[in-house]
Amino acid sequence: MIRFEEFDKAWPDGTLALGNINLEIPRGQFCVVLGPSGAGKSTLLRAVNGLIKPTRGRVMINGAELNISSQRLLRQQVAMIHQHFNLTTRMSVANNVLAGLLPVVSTARALSGWFRPEHRAKACRMLEEVGLAPEHLKRRAGDLSGGQQQRVGVARAFMLNPQIVLADEPVASLDPKISRDILSLIRDAAREHHTTVVCSLHQTDLAREFGDRIVGLRDGAIVFDGAPAEFTDACIHSLYSGAQWETPSEHSDAASTHLTLAHA
Amino acid sequence: MTNKPIPVPAPGTPLSWHLPHPYSTRHLLVVIVLLALLLLTGHRTEMDRMVIMTTQAVGQLLGLSSDSQVVRGLSRVGQSMWPPAITEMEEVNRLPELDRDRLPMFSYVEKRQQTEQRMNLETLQLEAQTETIEVLVKPVGYLWTVFVKMLETLEIAIWGTLLAVLLSAPLAYLAASNYSPRRWTYTLARGTVSFLRSMPELIVALFLVLAYGFGPIAGVLALGLHAAGFLGKFYAEDIENADKKPQEALEAIGAGKLKTLCYGVLPQVVPQYVAYTAYILDRNLRMATVVGLVGAGGIGQELKGRFDMFQYDHVATILIAIFLFVFALDQLSARIRAKLI
Repeated sequence: MIRFEEFDKAWPDGTLALGNINLEIPRGQFCVVLGPSGAGKSTLLRAVNGLIKPTRGRVMINGAELNISSQRLLRQQVAMIHQHFNLTTRMSVANNVLAGLLPVVSTARALSGWFRPEHRAKACRMLEEVGLAPEHLKRRAGDLSGGQQQRVGVARAFMLNPQIVLADEPVASLDPKISRDILSLIRDAAREHHTTVVCSLHQTDLAREFGDRIVGLRDGAIVFDGAPAEFTDACIHSLYSGAQWETPSEHSDAASTHLTLAHA
Repeated sequence: MTNKPIPVPAPGTPLSWHLPHPYSTRHLLVVIVLLALLLLTGHRTEMDRMVIMTTQAVGQLLGLSSDSQVVRGLSRVGQSMWPPAITEMEEVNRLPELDRDRLPMFSYVEKRQQTEQRMNLETLQLEAQTETIEVLVKPVGYLWTVFVKMLETLEIAIWGTLLAVLLSAPLAYLAASNYSPRRWTYTLARGTVSFLRSMPELIVALFLVLAYGFGPIAGVLALGLHAAGFLGKFYAEDIENADKKPQEALEAIGAGKLKTLCYGVLPQVVPQYVAYTAYILDRNLRMATVVGLVGAGGIGQELKGRFDMFQYDHVATILIAIFLFVFALDQLSARIRAKLI
């Protein structure tokens, strides 16, 4: 379970990336974060594994606060899938997937590349689960197609059986068919391991198709939070066009905020 | 959904933008000052005399001027360099252990007439005396000597490079601002790297010859220390400039710095590292010939000896050998690089 408590993040120049975020994501949920570019989606995701430190407030993971001292252990439970795959392109696919285990592998084993047999077997099984073939193992990650690279990224993310997977626009550079494949892959793997997924997206149709819940961000604030069914076309238009949201300020309970639209 | 048109200013609105010329009188002044400085230093470094002498030389080659110091000097050396020495001759009576029935391979004994100026003790005048001496001729003897010396030079270069790589690996880790554990380790490592790089091999070799005596130890150490300064700097800067994306991915799961370096950075910078190391090997091979001049082993010692004895034909052989070795190594390193990239 992830909980943001009065979370603020300001950049050094004073602009507020995220302001007063209160958000709770229960275990096993596929939560999609939507919003225009610069709304703070990446910042929200990166706050969960401590890549971004809060200016105010805190992030709790399973009841433990994320800070400098707890970060190292908590990060092992939080995997990340990146927009640009972030693979070591000149390294083999096998080593890229094994790199997902680095936090729990001894330095000597990591530096020599001599991983335990069960770790090797796990890497093979993960690669098989994401739909790659054995002949891909030895190939350089950079030689694969975009879709295949993201499959490697997904395999790497699930190597440590994480409780939380952060997917930062995992399909932004992929075509619609492959995007759907990758998202199903993440969803199925997450269901199997009972993993929480926080996934930022740009495609509203995919968000409605895959999300258990949609969080709409704009200008660093949560402006929509609800089930995919409640996320209407009018919401999409309003989220991206810059029109005003009318937030019912009296009962602004973040989990059940229901938004009405001003004239869009 | 209504589309807003792109805003276009009404006709007649004065333009508030201004795009200046790429350079102004100030730039021109700077150029004039720089030119004046160049002329001054040119005079101090005798660039004017160089132009005059070179012009004379070209003039003589074209038949326009009668005499040129440069052409005279070059042709004198050139004549004595050609043909390069290949054979090696030794007087038989200086080889007391020579077994005439079992001569070394390919060699033979030859009788030669030798004319020498000797002082006649009765007349107290120099007289030309001709005597016949026996010499042992090794037809490719000198080529072999040069080859052996060259091999020694190559070994010095290889060990120098190896030492440089071993020394610079930890230095690079500490001298990369994004991996150095503390501010002071970074400053210390950068300082060490700059210090090593600023010491010329030849000077270092001079001191090391005093410390370790004549021979290859001083050569290897001198080359290794200097090259470690180079490699440390280049390795560190590649670590700093490496693609941040894989590093971020590994940082996000808490992999730790050393493991991130190994799995997120090193595989990405291997081609540059190979290129730098190959360059250092190439440079060390050339420098290994030079540090020999101060007694640090290798072909440099041979070269200096022959040069001091005005045996320019032997010098020519050595120079050709150096060129061939450098060229061969260049081809080899190009192939290794092509395989690794």
